[in-house]
Amino acid sequence: MSRKFLETESPKWVEQGIINAEQQQKLLGLYPPDEKAIGLLPLLGSLLVGLSVLSLVAANWQGLPETLRLGILLSSLAGSYAAGEHFLRRGNHSLGIGLVGLGLILFGAAIILVSQMYQLIGYDVTGLVAWAVAATALTYLYQSRALFIMTVVISCIVQGYNTGQLGAFSYATAAFTAFTLGYYWWRHPDALLGTVLSVGLLWQAGLLVSFLHIKITWFFVGAMLIYTLGDWQTDRPAGRAMQGPPIAAAFLFMLGLAIFGEAGSYTDMLRPPLLAYLAALGGVFALSLVAKRKRGRLGGATDWLLLLPGFYLPGGLPLAIAALVVLYAYTGTLLWRAHQEQNPDRVTLGTVLFILTTAVAYFKLTWGFMDKSLFFLLGGVLLLGLSWYLQRRAAQTLASEATDKPRS
Amino acid sequence: MATPLPSNHRRWVLLLVAAQMLFILAVAAAGYATTVYGRVVTLRTLPVDPRDLLYGDYVRLNYTISQVPIALWQEISLPRRRQAVYVVLRPAGEMYEAVRVFAQEPMEVPADQIVLRGWIADRYRRSLHIRYNLERYYVPEGKGKELERKGRRHTMLVRVSIAPWGQARITEAQVQP
Repeated sequence: MSRKFLETESPKWVEQGIINAEQQQKLLGLYPPDEKAIGLLPLLGSLLVGLSVLSLVAANWQGLPETLRLGILLSSLAGSYAAGEHFLRRGNHSLGIGLVGLGLILFGAAIILVSQMYQLIGYDVTGLVAWAVAATALTYLYQSRALFIMTVVISCIVQGYNTGQLGAFSYATAAFTAFTLGYYWWRHPDALLGTVLSVGLLWQAGLLVSFLHIKITWFFVGAMLIYTLGDWQTDRPAGRAMQGPPIAAAFLFMLGLAIFGEAGSYTDMLRPPLLAYLAALGGVFALSLVAKRKRGRLGGATDWLLLLPGFYLPGGLPLAIAALVVLYAYTGTLLWRAHQEQNPDRVTLGTVLFILTTAVAYFKLTWGFMDKSLFFLLGGVLLLGLSWYLQRRAAQTLASEATDKPRS
Repeated sequence: MATPLPSNHRRWVLLLVAAQMLFILAVAAAGYATTVYGRVVTLRTLPVDPRDLLYGDYVRLNYTISQVPIALWQEISLPRRRQAVYVVLRPAGEMYEAVRVFAQEPMEVPADQIVLRGWIADRYRRSLHIRYNLERYYVPEGKGKELERKGRRHTMLVRVSIAPWGQARITEAQVQP
């Protein structure tokens, strides 16, 4: 409850005799006014001063002697770490971590600016990998979520630059990120960090697939490996958060196949050697199943329905229909499970995905031969009817949950 | 609020910050070392538009060795875009010209030749466009004005130091008289 709410509402409570004036004061005393607002002005002031110094330096950067430039970079780096440490010790956590984060950004900037100063050419990512390593060390040292997220972003940038500009893939960076940050997340389970790390690792997997020029569906072997990591995590919200991005990627991919699958021009990018692909995916599937069994969540195995390799069917309509079948299998079981578990969030998600799939299926299967006005009329009626039915089911489920709860 | 920091926290912070500062100094040292130990080769650029200088603090340079005939490619496999390559340069008069292009670093080259690393930017039917990351020259203060004053398109001579360990850097760039 916020103090502001109490301040506006409590006089009414006193008026209505719910609480007396003394109790009102006691309640207000529980929520002291925020002191941070007072500290904001000096912060803004120093920010402005900092910006003016920064613009002055930036404007004359090329004209400054090299040693002076080096000195400015090194001292601002050390300065912001020292200031961060100072504020952390005084208990001002967010400002302290903010300054440490600034120091980290300055380190990356200094690497780039110094190599630019000497017109050095980067042939490999050693310089930038040092940046990612420093970020990881800071994450462990300060146990900070903000620094964790920065580290994920930095390692994504490093790998992106490496693949895009230098035409190489740094397996060391990918493995280092996966192991150090994965271990951190394992020990400090957290939903937000799970999602961020998952997206970061998916990005690296995507870059690896593009670098190796292999069939794009190999991406899902990596993605499902990340998904499986979520299965082994004992903290359920954190594990679920880790699994969100791979499942979203698989769903969007299938949806894309259902919509554009007929073109057939790119279908040769989809099909790796059948046995090798199935063996690799099957191996990950087995790992995932073992974890699900161990954690007593075998029902979640229906997520894997999205990975049914419908794309081995010939291009054209069969491929689109195979993709639709996969999508229906997934969204159908998702809805069914959500109703069984009486999980309102899951019901909403399942409903939206089911309607989306139906819209795509309808568009795909009837656009070609149906009169357009009839097409839209029937489609509208179909979707309205479906959403009405699904909402009724959801309402029933949630109502039965509400009546169940007081009894238990 | 985060968990309380461990007792040896301060020592680790000091160590980490010191390591970062040392790393930056090492980058600077690599710059000096490349000049001191490197072999200097002179490359010629295609004409540079002086108006480029108005837009930023660097000029885009396009070298004569940026475009090489595909016949120089020494490998059996076809060159791929963004692939790293090793270009062997040979002196032709005052300037250096490309004579061979490898996908792997060649073990030995004749004493008068030298290897410069690059990347394939584009592949055409008869030629390869190679990027050396020497294409951006950050113009020192005052030099840009001088180039602009000449007011016409001109080629430039660029001196590049190539260290024995392969690191290269531009040490000097001047307008060809």
